[in-house]
Amino acid sequence: MNYPAWQLDAFGGGFFIALIAIVHVYVSHFAVGGGLFLVLTEMKGLREGSSEIIAYTRRHTRFFLLLTMVLGATTGVGIWFTIALLNPAATSFLIHLFVFAWAIEWVFFLAEIVSLLFYYYTFDRLEPRKHLILGWIYFGCAWLSLFFINGIIDFMLTPGAWLADNNFWSGFFNPTFWPALFFRTFMALMLAGLFGFLTSVNIKEAGLRHTMVRYCGMWLLPPLILLLGSALWYKIALPLPQQEMIFSRAPEMKPFLTLFIWLSPLIFAGGLTMAILRPQAVRRPLAWLLLLLGFLYLGSFEFIREGGRRPYIIHDYMYSTSIKKADMGQIQKTGVLASARWVKNKTITAENRMDAGKELFTLLCMPCHSAGGPLNDILPLARRFSPAGMRSFLATMGTANPYMPPFAGNEEEQSVLADYLTTRLVPGIVNKVVKINKESIKPAPFDKETGEYLILASSDKGMILSSEPELSGIDFSFAPPTLQAQVILRGEAPSVLTDDIQVSYRIDTDQGPLLGNMIAAEGTFAATLAKIPPIAKDFRPYLLAEIEAVKGGKVIAATRLKIGLSNEIGCRNCHGGPWRQQGRTGLSRQTAADILAIHDKRSSTKLSQDFHSGKIVVCADCHADSSRGAAGQPGPLNLSAAIHGFHAAYLYKENNSCTFCHANSAQGATGNMEDLHSTIGLECANCHGSLTDHAMSLLIEEQQAQKPGSAKLVALLADKGEMAQEKIQGRMPWSMEPDCLTCHVGFQPPDSSTAFNTWSADKKGLFVHRHGEEGALLCTSCHGSQHSLYPADNAYSKEVGNLQPLQYQNNPYPLGADRGCAVCHTVEMEEELHHPGSLGTFRNRVE
Amino acid sequence: MIPTHLIPTPDPLQVPWGWFQILLSTTFLLHLLVMNIMLGWAIIAFCNHAFRDTIADDNQLISKNLPFTIAFTINFGVAPLLFLQVLYGHFMYTSSVLMAVFWLSIVAILLLAYYATYLYNLQFSKMSGLHTLLSGIIALFLLAIAFLFTNNMSLMVSPESWVHYFDHPDGMLLNFEDSTLMPRYLHSVLASVAVGGLALGLYYDWQRRRGDTTAADRIPSAMNWFSYATIANFGFGTWYFGSLPASIRTVTGVTGAFLLCFLLAGITAAILSLIYGLQHRVRHAAGAVLGAIICMVTVRELVRRQTLAPWFSTSDLEVVPQYSPMILFLLLFAGGLYLVWWMIKLVLPAKKEVQS
Repeated sequence: MNYPAWQLDAFGGGFFIALIAIVHVYVSHFAVGGGLFLVLTEMKGLREGSSEIIAYTRRHTRFFLLLTMVLGATTGVGIWFTIALLNPAATSFLIHLFVFAWAIEWVFFLAEIVSLLFYYYTFDRLEPRKHLILGWIYFGCAWLSLFFINGIIDFMLTPGAWLADNNFWSGFFNPTFWPALFFRTFMALMLAGLFGFLTSVNIKEAGLRHTMVRYCGMWLLPPLILLLGSALWYKIALPLPQQEMIFSRAPEMKPFLTLFIWLSPLIFAGGLTMAILRPQAVRRPLAWLLLLLGFLYLGSFEFIREGGRRPYIIHDYMYSTSIKKADMGQIQKTGVLASARWVKNKTITAENRMDAGKELFTLLCMPCHSAGGPLNDILPLARRFSPAGMRSFLATMGTANPYMPPFAGNEEEQSVLADYLTTRLVPGIVNKVVKINKESIKPAPFDKETGEYLILASSDKGMILSSEPELSGIDFSFAPPTLQAQVILRGEAPSVLTDDIQVSYRIDTDQGPLLGNMIAAEGTFAATLAKIPPIAKDFRPYLLAEIEAVKGGKVIAATRLKIGLSNEIGCRNCHGGPWRQQGRTGLSRQTAADILAIHDKRSSTKLSQDFHSGKIVVCADCHADSSRGAAGQPGPLNLSAAIHGFHAAYLYKENNSCTFCHANSAQGATGNMEDLHSTIGLECANCHGSLTDHAMSLLIEEQQAQKPGSAKLVALLADKGEMAQEKIQGRMPWSMEPDCLTCHVGFQPPDSSTAFNTWSADKKGLFVHRHGEEGALLCTSCHGSQHSLYPADNAYSKEVGNLQPLQYQNNPYPLGADRGCAVCHTVEMEEELHHPGSLGTFRNRVE
Repeated sequence: MIPTHLIPTPDPLQVPWGWFQILLSTTFLLHLLVMNIMLGWAIIAFCNHAFRDTIADDNQLISKNLPFTIAFTINFGVAPLLFLQVLYGHFMYTSSVLMAVFWLSIVAILLLAYYATYLYNLQFSKMSGLHTLLSGIIALFLLAIAFLFTNNMSLMVSPESWVHYFDHPDGMLLNFEDSTLMPRYLHSVLASVAVGGLALGLYYDWQRRRGDTTAADRIPSAMNWFSYATIANFGFGTWYFGSLPASIRTVTGVTGAFLLCFLLAGITAAILSLIYGLQHRVRHAAGAVLGAIICMVTVRELVRRQTLAPWFSTSDLEVVPQYSPMILFLLLFAGGLYLVWWMIKLVLPAKKEVQS
């Protein structure tokens, strides 16, 4: 914010640091360990009276000098130049705080150069004792250089007490100073062995060659064991946040941790092989291979160490975006553009929106990301998101994405940056308003005068979401629907019949009809479909079921039922990929692949392997789903808690967060939420709570069941909901749901519009299983399915949501509304048998 | 865009700015001397190979020692760059970012030049056909680095040029707007040639005093490099001074008086060194040149302070005192210098012994 930012595009994301630093670190560690190697090898030659060993030492010194003094010194300056270009604020801070530590390191650097040059150029010119003194001086100065640099580097990871007292020495001798010093010392000795292999395998005399290769093996193997011990000490010395960042919070660390762990035995085995096997054909390439493995070994460690600082460049003090932690709150209020010195667009207007977005991108994204480059490329990430999805993602930086700094801008800047990233930086996902071709659907016929029976049917779910497992490769669909029907014999006292009556259903799909009989129990016929029927190829968010009641071989009643069904699942808003069907709906395999890849990364699963081998990944195999009767595995959260709990941390700030995933966006393929309550302006949150509260209710239940992972998600959502966490009642999904009577107390018009946090006790208490006060008619028989209550306003068809009211009473209102008792009763009714208010006039009229 | 708004907020110091100024000027002097020898020798070697036939000894000497001069130029460059960043970091980091591509390219150019000097050294006798090309590449690389350093030092004191960043945020800015840029650069390059020639002269003078009878013959050629480059540099120096803004040239008050005094003293010392140079009195010339360089380093510092005066003074920097790290540094610095001296003493007899 204080300095200009170098616009690097493809070479952003720390490319130059990685390039120069790892080379330098490798060479400079060799410069330390190799110094001791030189002097001890010379002593060995003197002790054994071997001029060959001394000659080898001299040749190795030349190689050492050309590598460490030229490449080491130049890349050392290179790192300094690079960090000052990429993060001048942090560099300035470190230079000012540790100026005299740097200056001391410079003194040792000077002594290193002088002693090394003298050491090399005085072989055979100085008496051995004096010559060895030069070697010891070189090693001592090189190690002291490491000593001082180590303090500064580890300060960045663990500033420790400096954060409180701002004392130079507190920062320098920080919590990881000593383990890091030992770790790096052993690493340096190990590298001396690796580089020793490289020169010793080229000794011409076979006997000496074998001796020296084995000697180099001694430099490699014991330090490697000690290094692993110091690595463990290093890990233990790390404060908890840094440990968590490395070992659990930042999934990007896993490959480097794995690499580091696997390379340890590989290098050990390689060292042993070098010491044992004599053939040159094996030793020479193996020496180079070991050198490369050593490079990767140290490189992976440096990546892990740097990763442990995330999201800071100086832990708990300055974020990687150069913003001090102490300044973050103020900048979030003021805005990044107003706070930064080096921006052109201090305020955002309609005209400069994208320019301002680019400036925000440069300031806030480029410090860690490249755009199209080899390191931490932001383009594939940006391609995954819709603008709204990106906005949500940005809002969760620092919380659900703890390895990223909190978004430093205000809400407008968040929106502008999201738009820039997803519409300008990449041709991202822009959801367009879907054009809907309306259709007219006729209800089944019914003669009010002569009809003896009527049949009322409903689905247990007003809208079923299908991930279409066969097509997408991933199954997290709702359970297949259960169709319910009640057959009523009209009369003065109508009766609900089941005896001697058969009820069947027929659902026409693009893949042929689904036929079946419904089983009678307690006054209701029911049939649960084996699986979710296929979605219509020419998309519409429902299928029609023809339901017939037969008695004595004669059809006594028939009706048509809408089964709400959609594959419009909005995962692509954040997981990328195209819509699968007609460019407007359906979960594509690309989207599914990204979901699973992220799951694998975050939860250490291997679902992508199964997916790419053609298997369908069924989420309920691990995550319990009571709606499908799936017990899942003991550890993972139930599916609803897992999905809502995880995603709420990303979407909690969005007003219409439900529409990110569920098929109820007015602009989407499914159209609007057709339910009566939606028509009068209520939203999902009125019954289910805000996404955060909704997720919290599911998570709390899991937390009470001591499910691992629940506490972490609860912590992420703490203080973000509309209701205090301690007041939220936990609930099991699909059995503890909002209760209509919470608002409609005593079946009366509601005083409140919030049904959240009062749950049905169990499945029997669900709307779909409840009956009127007369104890015979299901609520759904008269009111329709939940989420599709009469009068429903379906975007595709005026009639489809209200087929039975239209069939039996020629209006879209609940059965019997407006004193329409004649639907079933043949006499005028005076008593409100079904529930209080059932003889009233329906309040919410439609045109 | 007002330049003042672009100047970053500096970080606080641990000890008052004067300490850093002393350390900066002292270590920069060391860097300048070695750097001048390095660059001057590279240019002289190339010119010898390209345009003269009988200077093989000069070039053999240069080829042997050029890698060392780079090693010490880098090392002696670290300290002043460090102290410069402490005092003027908020200016220099900014200018470095503005010319980031060029600035970072220095690392690659330096690496190539460094290895090229070792190639030139270790293969000197085997690749005589490529001497001109190799020495030319080394000289060109080092000249390029010098130009980029001059650019950064110019850009860091030119906040009014910083606004070009908004049109070129890709790190490709050079400060050609600055009328002092070219004369300053050429003045420095010529000074390097002069100091390079003088260093050769000093070496031959030392060899002569140690009994090398042929060394005396080489002194005139070396001192000619020094003398003619110095004569030319009076012209470039005048051009450089004339290109400075009038506000710097005519500065009044204490700073103006200091600036004038050191400038006149420097010119006087330079004239004296030229006279000695033309007389081939090497050590006298060296003494005078050292005086001239000390004066010019001081003038350079005063000009920088004066150029930045509208925006910044080092006395503005906040100090949060903590002296113990500096005390440790000064002790170790003294110890380090003693150690270097001790090592030289340890090694020198060996060389004598070999030569005898």
